[in-house]
Amino acid sequence: MTNRASLGLAVAIMALAAWGIYSALDWPLKSKLFPLVICVPLFCLAGAELLWVVLGKGAARAASDFKLSAEHAPEVARRRTLLAAGWTVGFFALILLVGFPIAVPVMVFAYLKVQGREGWIFSAIFTAAVWLFFYGLFELLLHLHFPDGWLFGGFGGF
Amino acid sequence: MKWKLALAAMLLPLAAPAQPNFAGKTITIIVGYKPGGGYDATARLLARHLPDHVPGKPTVIVQNMPGGNSIIAANHMYNVAKPDGLTIGTFNRNLPIAQLTKVQGVKYDMLKFAWIGSAANETTILAIRNDLPYKTFEDLRKAKEPVVIGSTGPGANTYDFPLLLKDLVGLNFKIVSGYSSSADIMLAVERKEADGRAGSLSSLRPFIDRGLVHPVIRARSTEPGLEKLPVDESFAPNPRAKAIMALRSAPEQVARPYVMPPSTPADIVKVMRKAFADVIADPAAQAEAKKAKMDFDFTDGDEALKIMKEVLNQPKDIVDEFSKYVKFGE
Amino acid sequence: MLDAFVQGLLLILQWKAFAFMLAGIFVGFWVGLLPGLGGATTLALMLPFIYNMEPVEAFAFLLGMHSVVATTGDVTSILFGVPGEATTAAIILDGHAMAKKGEAGRALGAALASSLVGALIGAAALALAIPIVRPLVLTFGSPELFMLAIVGLAFIASLSAQGARGMVRGFLAGGLGLFLAMVGQDPQAGVARYTLDTLYLWQGLDLVPVLVGLFAIPEIIDLVVRGTSIAGNAPAGRINRGALEGVKDVFRNFWLTIRCALIGTFIGITPGLGGAVAQWMAYGHATQSARTPEERKGFGQGDVRGVVGPGAACNSKEGGALIPTIAFGVPGSTSMAILLGGFFLLGLVPGPDMLTKHLPVTFSLVWTIVLANIITVAACFLLLNRLTALTAVQGHLLVPVVLVLVFIGSYTSNSSYADIIVTIVFGAVGYFMVLAGWPRAPLVLGLVLGKIAENYLYISVARYDFAWLMRPVVVVLLILAVGVIFYPAVQAWRSRKPA
Repeated sequence: MTNRASLGLAVAIMALAAWGIYSALDWPLKSKLFPLVICVPLFCLAGAELLWVVLGKGAARAASDFKLSAEHAPEVARRRTLLAAGWTVGFFALILLVGFPIAVPVMVFAYLKVQGREGWIFSAIFTAAVWLFFYGLFELLLHLHFPDGWLFGGFGGF
Repeated sequence: MKWKLALAAMLLPLAAPAQPNFAGKTITIIVGYKPGGGYDATARLLARHLPDHVPGKPTVIVQNMPGGNSIIAANHMYNVAKPDGLTIGTFNRNLPIAQLTKVQGVKYDMLKFAWIGSAANETTILAIRNDLPYKTFEDLRKAKEPVVIGSTGPGANTYDFPLLLKDLVGLNFKIVSGYSSSADIMLAVERKEADGRAGSLSSLRPFIDRGLVHPVIRARSTEPGLEKLPVDESFAPNPRAKAIMALRSAPEQVARPYVMPPSTPADIVKVMRKAFADVIADPAAQAEAKKAKMDFDFTDGDEALKIMKEVLNQPKDIVDEFSKYVKFGE
Repeated sequence: MLDAFVQGLLLILQWKAFAFMLAGIFVGFWVGLLPGLGGATTLALMLPFIYNMEPVEAFAFLLGMHSVVATTGDVTSILFGVPGEATTAAIILDGHAMAKKGEAGRALGAALASSLVGALIGAAALALAIPIVRPLVLTFGSPELFMLAIVGLAFIASLSAQGARGMVRGFLAGGLGLFLAMVGQDPQAGVARYTLDTLYLWQGLDLVPVLVGLFAIPEIIDLVVRGTSIAGNAPAGRINRGALEGVKDVFRNFWLTIRCALIGTFIGITPGLGGAVAQWMAYGHATQSARTPEERKGFGQGDVRGVVGPGAACNSKEGGALIPTIAFGVPGSTSMAILLGGFFLLGLVPGPDMLTKHLPVTFSLVWTIVLANIITVAACFLLLNRLTALTAVQGHLLVPVVLVLVFIGSYTSNSSYADIIVTIVFGAVGYFMVLAGWPRAPLVLGLVLGKIAENYLYISVARYDFAWLMRPVVVVLLILAVGVIFYPAVQAWRSRKPA
């Protein structure tokens, strides 16, 4: 899994660097100098990583960054990862459609009920608390304005 | 006969349009920049004092919508904001130039906004470090060594003003750009890395007062104390160059533009214009502006619109020539 | 000068000024804690309230608020893995890892203690530097700043894993960061580079949405996968008992703390580098203190030195950043720019006057930083148990709340949904990087330093042709950069020798 992810990233970066070089060719010298100086080595380094993975040479030592927890079976982990990603993207879609003030309580409540399997009353109270905090702080105190959702005619926010 | 008069008197209030009243409402001023800059500071000053001058004493808040050098804010004001008098927008004064030079992404028309006016005039000057031998503009013209002018990047007056002086009038400038802000350029001036910079009088004033730099030339619009300073246009070698310089300076008379969305009802616009004029004349607001060293004068919306028309109705050959020198940016 | 020093303290101890400072601390506490509130935006929002205050009171309020943001930002980073502020992201790497091992108390204790030490050193630097501040800042011209950016980039080597392959991955991440820094309109010719024809990308990628996506989203995903609380299965009693241990850790690594605080102060003093760099350089330096490759591998898994370093640097840079703001009127960051606005409003002109005529006011600023940090750290220690208890709360209660704060945090910087898209995209990038074993820190370093390096290089060459390469400070910094790059290799070679 680690190797496949590394491969994917290497390929993606090679593509990005290639695009970077290609776009920069038309620019005046001063504008294209740094991008070229960055993208050419980037392309080569990504190529090196690609070869390393493909040729299967030696395990790389761990990065100085956190490792995803390996407590569960890969199947469980994969399912839950997709779930988490789904909630994140779904929340964004909800915000687009109905606006922040409505999306927030809906998402919190839905998550507690569906993922957390909490009871109705607890979910309702928790959602109310979160919404109150969010509304009180951002709308009332700071007057930060959130646009209406697309379903309600607001097309702003971009 | 008398009953006709009585009837008319009873019906009169129904016939006369009601004065727009904002009681209990919230007006939002959308600023096309992040907090902390000049446009934002002016907007917040207005937000503090406007409620006293708008009928109904509404709440006035500021919302920052930076991005695309405030084109995003202008687009929002033109296409998304509702023309109900509850949204006011302020953005980069060079946006008419962006429209003129057909910058990609422009989705507004400066002429169609409901103009409130401008909350300030800007005076652009070029200031040179005091310990250099160039005391007047004539000295600068005769300079043998290149004079290093620090700037942030194309589109800012720190870059465009000296650029036109260099390319059109032939001054011996080396324009070094890439500084992250005009304050950083002043540090470079102190270090003798740069010899001077162009910019608005209000941003240069603390450094002039401190004795670091002195102004040598200014753009068209002026301020008390600077009238005697030579104007860049007077050195233009031909009418076309003069037109280009004038075009660059034109937006400075509408230095802090305030608009409402197109099709805002005329009576609301009228009320807003009067409110702005009153706020800017308010001694308390003026005192605050002075303390903050902010320029604070009202130019009425009709005047602002006239200047927009001037800018946007330039002949094609001037616009093409202009675009060779001046790009839209910061 | 001693006179002004004492006068400054007395100024801040007047009850009104002190009360305003406490109010500022209260506001700053929440601003730092919540990822949705940025220090700069809130400072701007607070500005109207200071109109009717005396200068000392107003600054007690503003500075009290500003000084504590970095400290409570560390708390959010450690407990939830979400950067509370753009400047507190580095501490996530080891701080949150410790929280996941059930050592939240220890991590918080270390962070709080190192923050205090850092703040004190930054304030001391501010006070001591006053006589020499002008020549100090004036020595650092564009060539020196370019070299400093190179030194910063050299830390990519330290932030990578050891071995050739680790280095390649580290530099890949760094290179990616540098590439992303190129997005936007370039200041030499005004070309819109890599903007995908959108207006949003014209001014480049905003740091906050990228950081939040890169660090917070993978943590959220991991929390969902684990299905437990943040502290996992660690026994509850252990979580908060470690605070004292954490404080002791700061003193066990005292010289490291001091060095990182000095790094932070120095970065703060040099205007033009931006505040986000200090924490990563401090973190990189902290990793250099590992004596063996095994120790080195421990970083990122919960080594307390990875908390101590950035903790100290973040707070010390605040004191440092005040120096150019006060002495030259050149703000080192957005928050400083707003503070500067406050100066003008109160009739104070930054410049030599602040170091002579208004010296007591300047010293009162120093004292404000000191007192505000002491009070905040004390308050946090009192609340420590409650704070660490959050790591024992079930994950599915925290996930929606954190998700809300993350999204609001991204949105409110520019009032644009595009920022949320950026967060999600970089969330994916961050996730795959972690999966692939690539370090994320170099990416941030590249992103933060890329434009600075480019701009200062062009300025240096335009102004001095190539003579600037001979300047003494430039040469020193170049040697330093080379040293930093090769240090990990030297370390590895040394540890191979028989003990």
